Amino acid sequence: MILSFLNDLFTLDFMYRALIAGLILGILAPLIGSIVVVRRLSFIADTLGHFSLVGIAVSLFLSTLGISIFFERPLYLGIAFAVIGGFLIELFRRSYKNYKEISMVIVISLGSALSAIFFSLSKKTGSLYNYLFGSILTITDYYLVLIIIIAAIVIALFIIFWKQILSISFDETTAKFLGVNVGLFQMMFMILLSVVVSVLLEAAGVLLISSMMIIPVASAMRISWSFRSTLVISIVFSELSVFFGLWAAYSFKIPSGAAIVSVSIIILIIIAMVKRIVQKRNIANLEELQK
Amino acid sequence: MQIDIRNLSFAYGRKTIINGLSHSINPGDYLVIRGKNGTGKSTLIKCLLGINSVKNGMLFLDNTDINTFKYWTKFGYVSQDFDNFNYEFPLTVEELLKFSSIKKTQPQDYLKLLDQMGVLDILNQNINSLSGGQLQRVFIVRAMLNTPEVLVLDEPTASVDKQNTEFFYKTIDAYNKQGITIILITHTDSLEALNYTHTLTMNLDLSVDIEQKTPEKEAKLL
Repeated sequence: MILSFLNDLFTLDFMYRALIAGLILGILAPLIGSIVVVRRLSFIADTLGHFSLVGIAVSLFLSTLGISIFFERPLYLGIAFAVIGGFLIELFRRSYKNYKEISMVIVISLGSALSAIFFSLSKKTGSLYNYLFGSILTITDYYLVLIIIIAAIVIALFIIFWKQILSISFDETTAKFLGVNVGLFQMMFMILLSVVVSVLLEAAGVLLISSMMIIPVASAMRISWSFRSTLVISIVFSELSVFFGLWAAYSFKIPSGAAIVSVSIIILIIIAMVKRIVQKRNIANLEELQK
Repeated sequence: MQIDIRNLSFAYGRKTIINGLSHSINPGDYLVIRGKNGTGKSTLIKCLLGINSVKNGMLFLDNTDINTFKYWTKFGYVSQDFDNFNYEFPLTVEELLKFSSIKKTQPQDYLKLLDQMGVLDILNQNINSLSGGQLQRVFIVRAMLNTPEVLVLDEPTASVDKQNTEFFYKTIDAYNKQGITIILITHTDSLEALNYTHTLTMNLDLSVDIEQKTPEKEAKLL
């Protein structure tokens, strides 16, 4: 089964595109995800994903009216709306300073309501399934090129500004005393996050975006010893999830996003079990030494 | 740096915490801010550092209104119990100090500072495995990375043992002798170990007692 999958992976165009896109997103998702976890904002990707969905629904609605926006590519309006969602979160966060999650609940509710309304008005509710659960196997050459460009920009910005990004993430209050323009980098991170969430939406679906970003990081945190090791291990886990997820999706005809996330969860469970066994063995060895 | 507080008031909602405080801190001063819980010590510090926005009264940093002040790297700040910092995520001491070295300093500076603080050996340790005393020293090194003119420390000895507290007071004293202004919040009643220049005691009735160290006191300490 694996051999025929490997054969198809490199001979069928759509499989090859899915693999390349998946491997790139497998780097992007935990890269942004690790910062999201440090900032204790794991819920934010879901929120922005729901708001990105509004952009897609509005785009589809406008096309039914004969209005072409962004060359009828819903993804662009999705990115624009994810950025708007990010700013709305910041806006509401100022009103509820000590309750970050309230602002996200408000934005996610608004996003869900508006996307339901515009999908209904566009009469294209059939495509909703793909946006909810992802469809990496159906991505086009155009989308693949877009992912490559976005990944290059995001990774370059991370390499250039990693000190500023980590400073505001680990300790927003004192970052300005280190020489960081906190407002500027907050905005930059929010825009990067919105863009990554929007491109992930095509592959993983709105319901599984945060899983692709957070679960590999959560697994890596159990066994890592530094920020760098967490990042590297989470990317390895993410790539394994993409590869075996694609295999499962192709072999069992199940949604690709769901398959990728399921593999991620299996890795998380295996890591948790192995760590527990190792810890128990260490305690037993220690007790034996003490005797 | 010259710090001038003019008729500063601050309230959380309807609860007034600081009421019409005026005070000046000169370059090289060692100010100790004392008071019981809830008297507004940390609130005052947060106003001084631009974390709480000042709406009533004026605050000047080097004769510039705090609302237009831009040179925040002149300050080093260690918050109470490092409460703003996410030290649960895997991160080594070296990683922390590397990404915190954004301005001025060269890579070896943090090694030198860690060595001075006697904790060079914990360079590769995970932040979440450090003791309170080690964590405190690391955060002081972090605050010193930009060679600040003012070092602000909010209850830094609250969760460290006696030995670390003594080491801390000696270190702060040495920094002050180098010309760095020290602003220290402490809950301790005994100030004998501190070489401060003046104290500001904040009371629950919103009054503030300002006391300059007298020559007799200074002689006693020497």
